[in-house]
Amino acid sequence: MDFKTLFTLLFNSLETGSGYALAALGIVLIFRTSRTTNFAQGTIGTFNAYIAASLMMRLDINIWVVAICATITAFSTGILIDTLIIRPAAKVSAISKQIITLGIIMVLVGLMPILFGIDTLQLPRFFESSQSFIIAGATLQYNTIFIIVLSLALMGLMFYFIQYTKWGLATRVTASDETTSKLMGVPTKRVTMLSWATAAIFGTLAAIFVAPRVGVNPNMLLTVQISAFFAGTLGGFSTFYGPVVGAYIIAFSRNFVQFYISDIWGNVIVYTLILVFLYFKPYGLFGKKPNKKV
Amino acid sequence: MTLVFTIIDSITKFFHSITKPLHGRPQAQYIVFGLLFSLIAWLPHLDVIKWGTMGVFAYIAIYTIVALGLNLLLGFSGLISLSTAGFIGAGALGIGVFLQLGWPFELAVIAVVLISAAIGGLIGLFSLKVDGIYLAIATLFVGEILSQIYKQVPIFGGQAIRIGSIEFLGNFELSMISQTDRSILFMIVAIIMGLFMVLMHNIVHSKTGRALLAMSRSEHAAQAMGISLMRYRLIAFMSATIFATVGGIMYAIYFQNVPTTSWGLELSLFMIAMVVVGGFKSIYGTFIGVIVIHGIPNLFLKDLFGDISYIFSGILIILVIIFYPRGFVYIGHDIKKYYYKLKEKFKRDEVTNNDN
Repeated sequence: MDFKTLFTLLFNSLETGSGYALAALGIVLIFRTSRTTNFAQGTIGTFNAYIAASLMMRLDINIWVVAICATITAFSTGILIDTLIIRPAAKVSAISKQIITLGIIMVLVGLMPILFGIDTLQLPRFFESSQSFIIAGATLQYNTIFIIVLSLALMGLMFYFIQYTKWGLATRVTASDETTSKLMGVPTKRVTMLSWATAAIFGTLAAIFVAPRVGVNPNMLLTVQISAFFAGTLGGFSTFYGPVVGAYIIAFSRNFVQFYISDIWGNVIVYTLILVFLYFKPYGLFGKKPNKKV
Repeated sequence: MTLVFTIIDSITKFFHSITKPLHGRPQAQYIVFGLLFSLIAWLPHLDVIKWGTMGVFAYIAIYTIVALGLNLLLGFSGLISLSTAGFIGAGALGIGVFLQLGWPFELAVIAVVLISAAIGGLIGLFSLKVDGIYLAIATLFVGEILSQIYKQVPIFGGQAIRIGSIEFLGNFELSMISQTDRSILFMIVAIIMGLFMVLMHNIVHSKTGRALLAMSRSEHAAQAMGISLMRYRLIAFMSATIFATVGGIMYAIYFQNVPTTSWGLELSLFMIAMVVVGGFKSIYGTFIGVIVIHGIPNLFLKDLFGDISYIFSGILIILVIIFYPRGFVYIGHDIKKYYYKLKEKFKRDEVTNNDN
């Protein structure tokens, strides 16, 4: 085992892990505040990445401005989806709500070819891939560092926000018991709306991060989305940091298993291991068993 | 206006009288339903519909079988499974593999069903430990592992398995290429759908169905009544996987060309959508759900709107769930209620008019 491959794998895993972590954080936010599994997380991100890419193509502005525009459209998409679709369906059962997010996927995926055409669009890196330096033989791009630092900073901000601000408190109480917090005067509707908006932003950032490698197409976030779900289960949905830790674990183990054991069966091995792990710890690494009343 | 009411009333009365022998005999109803559905097989011969349209109807029958099994989990047991598509694939591809190995069709069916039921049983055991969203995503793991296996293991043929023709009982060979054979294949699929509706009805109205319902309301209360969680969880998951596998086998029988790549999360979500949109705990509701999710887009919307049909089906799902959270099957009830209200109102107006 040489250091070059080890470091390459390490940086690679940190980069993909950041994407998974952002998506997973979005999923857990919505899961806790809206009580639904958001299958549309990836599609919402993809949709806004399409907006970014077509803005870039038509107006020829640089990636930084485009990324900021995409964040703003993501924020509005999140709010629109919550007000138009999720809130009117507040009373339907949990499973039906999940299927509503399937409806959102279909609408957005159907809109993509009409609005943006059927070609795969391109989004460049934040820093050119030539801008890099070398650690122990492994190339480390500035772009990779930027992605890792930005995601960690965003997540840190998010945790600070949830833990130490008034709005964060509102989010936590909404997550723990919506009815009671509503009775206590917490604006649960606004909390839910903001968490949809934040989740959409996280999804969009994840999409912009992976876009240079896979191109902007309707299925670009499929792996990220599924991995984010797996990260949520591995880390446990009952905390906000669990899924983030889970995301990095999944990215690392997948990369290392794929490189050192089997390229084709890497995913299957990792998934089986997680399933076995879940059998012994059914609520994930940091999850607590919910109290069930008889 | 009175004339319209009289006509509608007499039509319903007439319908009521011809279906009289079926009242109170739900099993017979399902069989008749399957037989009526199988009549679609002769429509393309009469040039009423295209051959491709019959394929859509075959999909409807196949998905109905699968969705019934899923309804046993979602509706009756309150459990969710995201690996349904993986098991449809297991049925369809498994048949292909065994037929290519030279096994007789009947033996292949038994082997495939047994293998799937075993995996379903494992998930059932797993579900004793894990619940809620964790269980849902655990089944997603299983689905992903299965679809990865289909794509990577060379025995599944890479892109697709071509079956060509199927030999029933060793000498009765049916091929997709011949049009008459295709109609017979469609009838087989439709009748099997009817039989599985009967099977579902019997499961639901047996001790097992009641136990599953009790478990979905409260596991602790059910256990206190002496219901074995393990036994019925196993039954629920095994029956759901068997239904899905049979759906897959029907796919292999009818289409005789099974792709390896279409058995992912998206199809599983669509299967759940069919149950949710159609109606939990309702057999006809499940069928209606399949019609809404698969039938309407493929039969009408595609012709009307072309590429944007996908958007319309998405909006349809969202609207149905918001306005009929218990399932689309209750729309019949609403229409009836509205009709009687209208009739009463009209009668009242008439009386007041006469008084004046």
